[in-house]
Amino acid sequence: MPDNVLEAVGLHRAYGSVRAVDDVSFTLPEGGSLGIVGESGSGKTTTARIIVGLEQADAGDVLVRGQARGARRRGRAARLARAREVQMVFQDPLLSLDPRASVEQVLRETLSLHFPDADHDRRVRELLDQVGLGTRAADARPRQLSGGQRQRVAIARALAVEPAVLVLDEAVAALDVSVQAQILNLLADIREETRIGYLFITHDLGVVRCVTDDVIVMRRGRVVEAGPTAEVLAAPRHPYTRLLLESVPRPGWDPEAIAAARRAL
Amino acid sequence: MTPTHHLHTLDVQGLRISLPGTARPVLDGVDLHVGAGETVALVGESGSGKTLTSRSALNLLPPGAVVEGAVRVRGEDVLTMNADQLRALSTGTVSMIFQDPRAALNPLRRIGDFLVESVTLTGSMSRADATARAVELLRAVGLDESALRKYPGQVSGGMLQRVMIAAALMGDPALVLADEPTTALDVTTQAEVIALLAELRARFGTGLLFVTHDLDLAAAISDRVYVMYAGRIAESGPAEALFARPRHPYTAALLASTPRLEAPQGRLAAIDGQPPDLRQELVGCPFAARCHLATEICGRQAPEPRPAPGSPHHQAACHHSDRLEGSPVDAR
Repeated sequence: MPDNVLEAVGLHRAYGSVRAVDDVSFTLPEGGSLGIVGESGSGKTTTARIIVGLEQADAGDVLVRGQARGARRRGRAARLARAREVQMVFQDPLLSLDPRASVEQVLRETLSLHFPDADHDRRVRELLDQVGLGTRAADARPRQLSGGQRQRVAIARALAVEPAVLVLDEAVAALDVSVQAQILNLLADIREETRIGYLFITHDLGVVRCVTDDVIVMRRGRVVEAGPTAEVLAAPRHPYTRLLLESVPRPGWDPEAIAAARRAL
Repeated sequence: MTPTHHLHTLDVQGLRISLPGTARPVLDGVDLHVGAGETVALVGESGSGKTLTSRSALNLLPPGAVVEGAVRVRGEDVLTMNADQLRALSTGTVSMIFQDPRAALNPLRRIGDFLVESVTLTGSMSRADATARAVELLRAVGLDESALRKYPGQVSGGMLQRVMIAAALMGDPALVLADEPTTALDVTTQAEVIALLAELRARFGTGLLFVTHDLDLAAAISDRVYVMYAGRIAESGPAEALFARPRHPYTAALLASTPRLEAPQGRLAAIDGQPPDLRQELVGCPFAARCHLATEICGRQAPEPRPAPGSPHHQAACHHSDRLEGSPVDAR
């Protein structure tokens, strides 16, 4: 199965009696983009954290290019190799960037960790260019940047490692619509150029439609529906997917009916 | 005071607010009103001044603010009120619902105490009356009186936001200011809270100023919409007309850049650039630098709001509204 860059097989994770992740499986093809949709408590973020390695699954496997990510490997080289498999971009980049380091320093540090012998000047320029940041931004500290620019820095840092998979956990949720559109377009461009795989965790069905090929819908730890994004959104089969779709505000929206449907489900 | 002010629950006229350390006013000539029992959405991105505008109805302004213009609630000037008058205003006529209910509630106090004390502390209601009212309102928002004895930590976010709505209605307000009240909630919970607000408005005749960044939500729930950009009202009008035929390029661009279920797939029509910085002075139209319709006049002269042909209540502050007709949303 070398065609799948990422594969999750029967993931389980329980906290006490709560099954946060309950038998979750999916595949992400090379250069593909998979959305995980769900509301709070659906297990989508726990799933993402298991994929990245921030959380251990009770059972199940995560395979990158057919190789098990498995238990924590020891040693510096193994850790770095592991980091090159999957990188993550979070919702609030301010919390994941060092407030004292300039954008350029952030990128240099990551590069010297992973590619100690390479030409960093050229690569830093390349990365800044790739995420649409100018040289003026290179000297700025995170605080001096706007939310959209910070998210570009976080993406650049993740790309610096040249990962096989990028996990984006509500990465555009905190941005204003006009900036969000810029970042979504940027992500589409990067995927086209690099063939990197995206795992896109979001609650926003409009965003899912815009940036993913396939989608899984999670509820209470379980996958309730999976398939090509266009199909799932056009003809949802599970009542919960239908409820999610109907809940998106639009002209002629009937919150009363949605509230009733929600209670019935 | 002219009689027309009595018609509006909230009437903001020419509101200009300057803060220390900024090169331009954060609010620059905002005109806005909410009629009795009307739902009005105030839409804008971060830094547009939408929250500040809504908070001005309670004179909740940042320290050092220099204020010009008028803010009237049922004809009474809020900006000249003293502390006692303002307290009476905020426990009676005007109340507020915030984005994050957990941040607005004391976690160590029971929900019942929270509901009751706002009206008993000012002496406007006895404790028994207030408790009866709290139970009635909890039922109206779909909870029962057992919630009175619970602590905030014992209920979910959606339930807590319903408690906040009940709390906002305790003093029988004429106007509710709701600042992103559903942004922190899941979509299905959001629908429930919106349904509730609509029902309560019908039942209690409360005016609602709904502050949001979500255009589609604004369109779905409001009678009228104001779109703000860089401290000014870019466009205002009936929700339907404003979204179907936007007259300001910013409104059109916002609509086009929103990822939607109905829109064609593929690249979004992003708005290039950033909103103007508060540290820089603003000459001309604030949107000019990002606008594809901008001409020489836009960089020189700030546009005044002008009505759409045949629709006097649909206004846009743009020199080129007429060039926008028919093109906007389909252009993506």
